[in-house]
Amino acid sequence: MSDNKKHKDWGTSYGEMVWHEFAKSKFTLLWLGFIVVLFVVAVFAPFFANDKPFFIKIDGHLRWPLFGALTASDYSIFLAAFITLIQLLLILRNKRKVDPSIRSGVLWRQIFVSISIIIIGTILFFIFIPKRLDATDYKSMIENGKATNALFAPVPYGYGRTDLKVREQAPNRQHWLGTDDVGSDVLCRVIHGSRISLSVGFVAVGISSIIGIIIGAILGYSGGKTDFVGMRLVEIMMAVPVFFLIITIVAFFPRSLFNIMLIIGLTTWTEDARFVRAEFLKLRRQDFVQAAISLGLPLRSILFRHMLPNAIAPVLVNATFGIAGAIFIEAALSFLGFGVAPPAPSWGQILSLGVSTTGRFLWWLTLFPGLAIFFTVLAYNIVGESLRDAIDPRLREAR
Amino acid sequence: MIEEVTLLNIKGLSVDFFTENGIAHAVQDVSFSVKKGQTFALVGESGCGKSVTALSVMRLIPDPPGKIAAGEINFENRNLLSISEQRMRSVRGNRIAMIFQEPMTSLNPVYTVGEQIVETIRLHQKKSEPEAWEIAAEMLRKVGISEPGQRVTEYPHQMSGGMRQRVMIAMAISCKPQLLIADEPTTALDVTIQAQILDLLDSLQQQSKMSILLITHNLGIVAERAQDVAVMYASRIAELSNSKSLFENPLHPYTQGLLKSLPQLGFTGERLYTIPGIVPEPLHFPSGCKFHPRCYLGCNDKRCQTIEPQLREVALGRQVACWYAPGYERPDDPKL
Repeated sequence: MSDNKKHKDWGTSYGEMVWHEFAKSKFTLLWLGFIVVLFVVAVFAPFFANDKPFFIKIDGHLRWPLFGALTASDYSIFLAAFITLIQLLLILRNKRKVDPSIRSGVLWRQIFVSISIIIIGTILFFIFIPKRLDATDYKSMIENGKATNALFAPVPYGYGRTDLKVREQAPNRQHWLGTDDVGSDVLCRVIHGSRISLSVGFVAVGISSIIGIIIGAILGYSGGKTDFVGMRLVEIMMAVPVFFLIITIVAFFPRSLFNIMLIIGLTTWTEDARFVRAEFLKLRRQDFVQAAISLGLPLRSILFRHMLPNAIAPVLVNATFGIAGAIFIEAALSFLGFGVAPPAPSWGQILSLGVSTTGRFLWWLTLFPGLAIFFTVLAYNIVGESLRDAIDPRLREAR
Repeated sequence: MIEEVTLLNIKGLSVDFFTENGIAHAVQDVSFSVKKGQTFALVGESGCGKSVTALSVMRLIPDPPGKIAAGEINFENRNLLSISEQRMRSVRGNRIAMIFQEPMTSLNPVYTVGEQIVETIRLHQKKSEPEAWEIAAEMLRKVGISEPGQRVTEYPHQMSGGMRQRVMIAMAISCKPQLLIADEPTTALDVTIQAQILDLLDSLQQQSKMSILLITHNLGIVAERAQDVAVMYASRIAELSNSKSLFENPLHPYTQGLLKSLPQLGFTGERLYTIPGIVPEPLHFPSGCKFHPRCYLGCNDKRCQTIEPQLREVALGRQVACWYAPGYERPDDPKL
């Protein structure tokens, strides 16, 4: 029987059905591809734009300054990307190889192991990788003839490097997208800025989804007075203009990336809570939930094991829009000067430099980061839209 | 004579639903006992309160709008209405299990049937995961599903209605409950499957000596399977009796009407009897005996119209709530 099992076709799963529907449109796939490219760029940003060469020969010794200069956060990002990729491959493999009866158990175990590896790895990296500041100007060494045989990244500038000789230059051969007010290369800063945008998007949405799911689940399941009071509180929360609330909060806290992620996450969960609550109100009276209660299952299992998977679709779709929204909020905050502190690169911050410095309008400082924000937000919105259509067949018919 | 031990004893149960239009008394003063290893049937039309009674035993009345207003539900020397939710959880599924009417929707669509059975087993019994999977397959075999080792890995949507109801039964009996509440277990199934499911419940009862509280509107299945029957009408018990005498000699006009409206083999050419009128709404119950507007005896009787008869024992093991039932009247009853 076990041999028989291995070769069985397990049929089409829900995920496969949604993917099939989703992949019907080439246009959507194109934008999904754009997001993937963006991820690759963000993860490997130091390899695309760096003022340190991959290798260089100084006094006859071959050195690897770029790898030596990678920071603990770089390594953490590589690790996280690598583990996530492996996790995705494992899920695909499980689809074909693992018996569905134990699949979800296996999946949770794998996700747990993956997250543990990422967290432990990150902690270890931050403990054991010293903060190095390699201020050597390798390019001038080449020009002076002190070093030879160097291989630089495609964009050979560091995002924190300033060079007042080349400040406020329009796009040219050396600086493809021009330079800003302190002579940093704009392309380099846009590339490194993608890291901030994407991580803000994901972490903020992660935080807001978790809060929204928990609150929505409890309100929707309990119903009655709890639901009534809770939803009025949520509505009060929704009535507050989130952006102004964030600006107010940001004014009181130090300008750090983590604070911005946290604040965006803590203020944008209301939509998720409403979606989850609506789904749970509907599910609560379903027979299988009643059956689960009648079997004596604990509340935790009923809420998050039996009800949540049936209510997750709108949350996923909303998360996609949420990422776009969070990227937008971060850009707007940075534009207004409330975002991450320079020299950390952020799209909104680069954009703000275009108008503020010498009174001249530096169009390249506005256009390129603006396009980056525009296309990223557009891509997430299109993907979210298609995901919603793929998940909800009724909507599909109506079109 | 087999020793008859009471397993479940319901005393004076009343359940109210607070709706926008007023308070609906869904169950009023219902009392009965289920004996160990026996089947007790609760019969009645839709909306008469039989499902609410069953849900009360499980404490599954949706609150709000529902509320158990009065009564006791004694099960294994405990009043289920007064124990904590925590303790109730260890009773549900473990000591009392329930099968629902609609097998198509009572299984979670996102998990395989095996996972759902295993979760219940592991919750109530100290079993390792592989052991629990074996028990799950064993349970499926027990309820007559072929290839149980294969079926545990399937999702509910891959199964037919009858098969899903078998899975529900397997899940319900997987922790060997003392009491199985079957809330119209066969209503949503076609006739041949109905018989199979009921026979299955019978044979499981033979094996494990559990009691069954069978809720149905089908009198036909009651006659063969239940030892005791309570006929409910408009949120009260109209007649409570052992099933043999109930079918031989129904005392309440409502029971008589129900039995008359059953199609019988060999009778042709006649229109099937129907009880005139419809079931009253819980918000607008008639005064007096709730059945009097439809009753061939009491529709013109002043007493029936004004005073509601209470359930009284009229013979050994027979209780009825009707002024006209033989032996019902007591000397001190009011006369009108």
